[in-house]
Amino acid sequence: MKPITKPEPVLVCRGICKSYGSGDIVERVLKRVDLEFSRGQASVLIGPSGSGKTTLLSILGCLLAPTEGELVIGNGMVDFTNKSSLTEVRRQKLGFIFQHAQLLPFMTIQDNLAIIGRNAGMTAADVDQRLDNLLDRLQLKPMRHKLPSQLSGGQRQRVAILRALLHRPSIVLADEPTAALDWNTGKTVVELLLEQARLEQAVLVVVTHDTRMLPLFDRILSIADGILTEQYQTAALENTFYTHS
Amino acid sequence: MPTRLTTGFAASQSIASVIATKMLSHNRSRFFMTIVGIAIAFFLAAAQIGLLVGWINTNSAIINNTGVDIWVTAEQTATFDYGTPIPRHRVQQVASVPGINWAEGMLVGWATWRHPNGKPINVEIVGLDKSLAGKPAQMLAGDPEIIKQPETVIVDELFRDLLGVWEIGDEAEIQGKRVIVGGISQGVRTFTAAPFVFTSIKNAVTYTPFYREDEISYVIARIEAGADIQAVKSRIQREVSNVEVLTTAEFAERSVKYWMLETGVGITVIITGILGLLVGIVIMSQTLFAITQDHLANYATLLALGFHQNTLRLIVLTQSLTLGGLGIAVGAALFAVAAKASARTPIPLETTTAVSVGLILFSLLFCIGASWFSIRAIFKLDPVSVFHG
Repeated sequence: MKPITKPEPVLVCRGICKSYGSGDIVERVLKRVDLEFSRGQASVLIGPSGSGKTTLLSILGCLLAPTEGELVIGNGMVDFTNKSSLTEVRRQKLGFIFQHAQLLPFMTIQDNLAIIGRNAGMTAADVDQRLDNLLDRLQLKPMRHKLPSQLSGGQRQRVAILRALLHRPSIVLADEPTAALDWNTGKTVVELLLEQARLEQAVLVVVTHDTRMLPLFDRILSIADGILTEQYQTAALENTFYTHS
Repeated sequence: MPTRLTTGFAASQSIASVIATKMLSHNRSRFFMTIVGIAIAFFLAAAQIGLLVGWINTNSAIINNTGVDIWVTAEQTATFDYGTPIPRHRVQQVASVPGINWAEGMLVGWATWRHPNGKPINVEIVGLDKSLAGKPAQMLAGDPEIIKQPETVIVDELFRDLLGVWEIGDEAEIQGKRVIVGGISQGVRTFTAAPFVFTSIKNAVTYTPFYREDEISYVIARIEAGADIQAVKSRIQREVSNVEVLTTAEFAERSVKYWMLETGVGITVIITGILGLLVGIVIMSQTLFAITQDHLANYATLLALGFHQNTLRLIVLTQSLTLGGLGIAVGAALFAVAAKASARTPIPLETTTAVSVGLILFSLLFCIGASWFSIRAIFKLDPVSVFHG
């Protein structure tokens, strides 16, 4: 196997460790995680409860500082000591999807989405245009002026996908996006998420407990006792990075 | 790529105001109840302060309406209402001081008015000199000149029931002597609960037990055009013995201070006003805190999604100012209605532009202060909590 030109990674973890506690009671949740994510690559993160999945996702999402190691997003190293710059990274480069969609219950779908675009620095006209396009793609146009409480769980997660992609982030992180959905709805949501993330050429990292979803992803990241192992399962993707001699 | 804007203050403010107002209006019953609570608290504070302003105006009304520059009083006179006898010839002494254009006397004393049903009522007699300086500003009936007639007085319409006289020609007694109502004034309120009764100095001396015929309470004087009032004051002080010389503003201030501060009346009113504002702050602080607590998960989501802490603080501040602004507007409207209704009563609610603006700004400042607990809760918020379901 001979390496060829590898695409520039968008997200890089170098020697990431995370410990909780101090003195004699120190729990090491992540032990030297090294990872690279490229544009359009969809990874699934699995592991038993308490294995460190959420901790890793929180670090990737610039919500939690690692005890050791570096995180590089795009061309810049993330400065975890600077709250303002962390907010800026999340605002511009990251999209999040949570277990329960977590849309603001007092705002219509349109408003829920528009504030994200505006906060990311898009003009009102840009937001409108992008919303039209995405609402159409995700078949959410009829829901535009409804409140989140008027939508089904699946519809809410579709809105959450739209929210995560609206400002064209380079990375989308999803925390158990199907946990509150039935299997069929969940599968549809994940397929949609994968399709849209690939279309937008965004790095996608999804945490899930549902092993039935694994075949849908390019790469499986498995974490146990803070140690991460990775497995590529899409030949096409492997071929993108490596070629057999 | 879409056009990128810097997320400056204006953009943050616009996002914050959208989120803030939608969050508030989502629970309409709580929104309206909070506004009602703040409105009542503001009205309470405004009414107390309005009462104070009304009392201050009442307290200094005669002094200010007299239209003179200088008041010469007995030494240590605490207030207009407690005039101490001084010899009448002080009028001539003051009039002869260089810089004085005109001087007259005024007598203020207390007496007992006998209601036709026999009930005794304390009244404050104001005895006026030849030019009637200090006469009521407005008359409902009759001419002020009438008080130059023997046994003739002017009473105010506000106290006709209390005094038991209703129209010109009605009679009563002061200190056992007959008085005839010669005129009825309008809007002459009293701070002391004893109605003012206007008459001439000559008549007043016969009704006030502590004054002799050659005594008055004050010398009131106007200075010559272009004269330096402070210089004239000093000259009077040097040339006339055993008196105190005050400008109209100084005497009005002294009278107001006496009733407001030395008697404790004003302090009580000020404390009640502050309590009213505190009630408003507590209501708003509690409501804002409850709203913030209800929406902590939403705030954590916004933080995780890249909203700056400052934007979230701006949301709380916007809510605080919205609630406060609307509550104050409703409270101010209530005050305006109450002020109008009380305008022709013995206890009017009054205000001035400076007092109104000051109270509104002070209240808004308190509203901002009330959001402190909520802002603190947001400051402590950990965005990682969004991943815990």
